[in-house]
Amino acid sequence: MKKRTRLEVIRDLLVVLQRNKQVKITHLIYKANLSNNSIKPYINYLLKNNLAEQVIVDEKRMFKITPHGNGFLEEFNKIKIFSESYGL
Amino acid sequence: MVFTLSLGDFYGIDSIVEFLIILVSLIIAYQSNKIYNLIKDKTYRFFSFAFLAIAISFVFKILSNLTIMYRMIIEKANFIFVIWHQFQYMQLINFLGFIFYKTFNIIGFLILFFIITKTKDKEKIFLFIYFSIIAIVLSIYFDFIFHITLVWILLFLTSHFYENHKNHRTTNTLLVFIAFLLMLISHSSFIFEAINPWFYLIGEILLLIGFFCLLINQIKLKRQSKDKNRNKNNYEKTNKIRGNKRLVSGFAKK
Repeated sequence: MKKRTRLEVIRDLLVVLQRNKQVKITHLIYKANLSNNSIKPYINYLLKNNLAEQVIVDEKRMFKITPHGNGFLEEFNKIKIFSESYGL
Repeated sequence: MVFTLSLGDFYGIDSIVEFLIILVSLIIAYQSNKIYNLIKDKTYRFFSFAFLAIAISFVFKILSNLTIMYRMIIEKANFIFVIWHQFQYMQLINFLGFIFYKTFNIIGFLILFFIITKTKDKEKIFLFIYFSIIAIVLSIYFDFIFHITLVWILLFLTSHFYENHKNHRTTNTLLVFIAFLLMLISHSSFIFEAINPWFYLIGEILLLIGFFCLLINQIKLKRQSKDKNRNKNNYEKTNKIRGNKRLVSGFAKK
């Protein structure tokens, strides 16, 4: 199976967040097919770039997609083809 | 005394070519900056700067091609002498225009080189900048040095885009590879422009075709992303309808 690019992993995480209103980190790991360690930099990236936000519900850490994250998903194909054509 | 506005040796044809190159470069820079605003990946910001620098360089080239000449007709015992003169400040504009053209062009392609080779060491970056400055200064006396420097940079860029095409095998990667290959050939042709001005014209045409390939890539990119989004929406819609049908049939069975 072909290894996913960084952009594709971010897309997969955002798709999980878009389909569910609020998601726990364990759910994200399971749905996006990532390991406990490998998800951390991606989560940091999503939070840092305002693609997702963290909410505390019943003392549990949950994540949800932001409008900026929705914009990313709409433009994802364009970004992917652009970066692929220039090898970025 | 008659004043004439001239657009360089090729009556402005080369300026039209350069204007189109500016447009294409600005489109790519805008697209890349838009991606940077979405994902905040610095690579896209620098990529945008690279194409912006290339666009600015060609603005300076057009400016340097603009020259106002004045013609003096002296009539002496049935002999007519026509003397063409260039204003002194026009010569200065011409000189500065070419210096800025070379500087911004090298900056643009050098940034692309740094992005593609993933060079992050400051020492290496300063070393490359130092050699580029030397190349620009020397090119005041020997114009071909500027083109040789660009040929070297383009050689690495073209080989990268060839590798990229080998890995992905899409029309987009092929178009980018062809574009940079044509730019490489065009700058190789510019090396010999002092021997024959036709080399300059051939180089300009190849450069235009190269940037035209990049424009086609941008148009294709927009269409492909629209098509993919449409297909995705249709897929989701049909899945929803199927899901609803299953629910209805489930209730009917109950």
